[in-house]
Amino acid sequence: MPPLPLLLLLLCPRPPRAGATAYPAVISPQDPTLLIGSSLVATCTVSPDFHLKAEDLYWTLNGRRLPAALSTPLGPTTLSVALTHLNGSKQQSGDNLVCHSRDGGILAGSCLYVGLPPEKPVNISCWSKNMKDLTCTWAPGTEGETFLHTNYTLKYKLRWYGRDNTCQEYHTAGPYSCHIPKDLALFTPYEIWVEASNRLGVAVSDVVMLDILDVVTTDPPLDVHVSRVGDLEDQLSVRWSSPPALKDFLFQAKYQIQYRVEDSSEWKVVDDVGNQTSCRLAGLRPGTVYFVQVRCNPFGIYGSKKAGIWSDWSNPTAASTPRSERAAGGCDPKGGEQNTTLRRELKQFFGWVKKHAYGCSNLGIKLYDQWRVWLQKSHKARNQVGKECFPAISCSPRGSERRQDETGRPAPTRDHPRPPQPRRRGAGKRPGRSAAQGTGWGEVGGSWLGTPSFTPRSGEGSPQPRPARGDPAASPLHHQPEQPRG
Amino acid sequence: GDSWGIFTFLCAALCNLPALPALNCTEELGAGQSIQKTYDLTRYLEHQLRTLAGTYLNYLGPPFNEPDFNPPRLARAERVPSATVDLDLWRGLTDNARLAANYRAYSRLLCYLRALDGQAGTAELRHRLGHFCSSLQGLVLSIASVMSSLGYPLPAGPAAPPAPPGTTVAPNDFLKKMDDFWLLKELQTWLWRSAKDFNRLKKKVPPAVVTLRLEARGF
Repeated sequence: MPPLPLLLLLLCPRPPRAGATAYPAVISPQDPTLLIGSSLVATCTVSPDFHLKAEDLYWTLNGRRLPAALSTPLGPTTLSVALTHLNGSKQQSGDNLVCHSRDGGILAGSCLYVGLPPEKPVNISCWSKNMKDLTCTWAPGTEGETFLHTNYTLKYKLRWYGRDNTCQEYHTAGPYSCHIPKDLALFTPYEIWVEASNRLGVAVSDVVMLDILDVVTTDPPLDVHVSRVGDLEDQLSVRWSSPPALKDFLFQAKYQIQYRVEDSSEWKVVDDVGNQTSCRLAGLRPGTVYFVQVRCNPFGIYGSKKAGIWSDWSNPTAASTPRSERAAGGCDPKGGEQNTTLRRELKQFFGWVKKHAYGCSNLGIKLYDQWRVWLQKSHKARNQVGKECFPAISCSPRGSERRQDETGRPAPTRDHPRPPQPRRRGAGKRPGRSAAQGTGWGEVGGSWLGTPSFTPRSGEGSPQPRPARGDPAASPLHHQPEQPRG
Repeated sequence: GDSWGIFTFLCAALCNLPALPALNCTEELGAGQSIQKTYDLTRYLEHQLRTLAGTYLNYLGPPFNEPDFNPPRLARAERVPSATVDLDLWRGLTDNARLAANYRAYSRLLCYLRALDGQAGTAELRHRLGHFCSSLQGLVLSIASVMSSLGYPLPAGPAAPPAPPGTTVAPNDFLKKMDDFWLLKELQTWLWRSAKDFNRLKKKVPPAVVTLRLEARGF
């Protein structure tokens, strides 16, 4: 049997190659792993083929030259460096400690991995979307775990039996998350935990026990529509449909609404919505744009009394409350509104209409035709016009909505037969205006494209002096017998 | 893996096309477009590489991401095929040799790129790497299709398949970082060079030549 050293030589795979000393120098330790705050003494030994001496060498760490005071020659071809109070690694691939020759050339390098062992991951929280899957998130134990690459593994098993399973789909809901897509059992609790490991150690979180049925959430409610309530200036009506999973899984849902004013970030929450799919918001500011969101919480899953987890909020839906009558007519642009020429023209046209439609029944049809022509021209652009701030435009087609009880509003007195059409908002409400509605003018909004309707809003029967607005549509109708208001 | 199987099948199928005389002219018709497509692909990859390399070098940390970083190319780094070539030699390359050099280089570069540390960096970096590898594979296939449409045989397999890990894998983490740096650098140089290679090839397969051939065959 050959002597031991020779045996070792035979076992070490060293493919012979030309210029076998391919490495000019060797650093020790090579790629060490260290705790934050510890110290390190490293040495760089130059290969004899390179004819370099210790005084020809210098060190850099992450590209920055280390002060000469830290370096000490240990021999003719060896230079050492002493580093103390090491900070966490600048990048997870390791700090680059490099030994250079005098002219800056790289002779050798060593990657320093400085960090902390992981701590127990905490705050494991899970939810199941429609009882089909399970997504869990957690938080790392400490900040220090970002210096080293820390591997997290989520494991789960059925309580009382079953073997450990490992979650495979990571980062689905953030960096510390995992998604279990299938093969989940109901009615038996699961034990779930997270293992964190890095170069310095391993840590296991506490075990969380949960039943899938207790952590069910759904998609947010669909088709959220917010619209005005007739002419009421302090109310909006919200309607939505329940998430489709509701039927499949036999649960009930309760809802929550939150709303805010356009230029505020404070949300008001309406909590007692119950399981209706519509709600009226009251006590709002007139002539303001509101954003509304709805979310849903499934409860009574398979008969249990427990609630689930609130869904995400639906995408915000915007609507505006009618402008108060006392305010000046027309729509003053609010902060968020764009001043396109189209809007200006529309406003001007409305202004003209208000001016000329008072007490003028025979004009109704002519105006209607003019409006029709104009509308067809700008139909496409109109669809892009936002929902806010048009005093008479409804935010969503509400064909089936009847005007609700108008608290404090006088009922319209109509002295002409009204064609049976769905009421449009504000149609002919003002007592002083009813004459102007002679030819079903107020109904016009309901019969066309659904959205606009005209309600002269400025003042109740007392004509206000209005500045003449240069609207081209005005000219053909200047022959009208009525005194223009402006 | 199985992508190589699909690839070899595709190449085998394409390689058999020249045997059918009736298809010769349609191949010529396709060659011009294929060359243009390959050229476009190299420009696109060059652009993608800039972002990928920036992110990856930041992950490696300074001095690797410093603009003037120039580490020594150690003997082991020679396994990455070099794009650098003598100008006269480059000019004198036949179309076949030019295409073959590109094909061989990218096949190997693709192999090495795929072997870049699977645990490297953030999920975002891994995702970018994966996306780039797919695009690079598209380039290799594109070059293969140009070669077969011009009637050239493909160079045998992914020439000199990368040696099994354990013998040529970098012996330490710092050397691996240097290998990664040179891999990205060579990739960049190759993409610059390929743009010029395919530009040159474009001029040698003009569409006018194709129409003449069509007439000659009485189509």
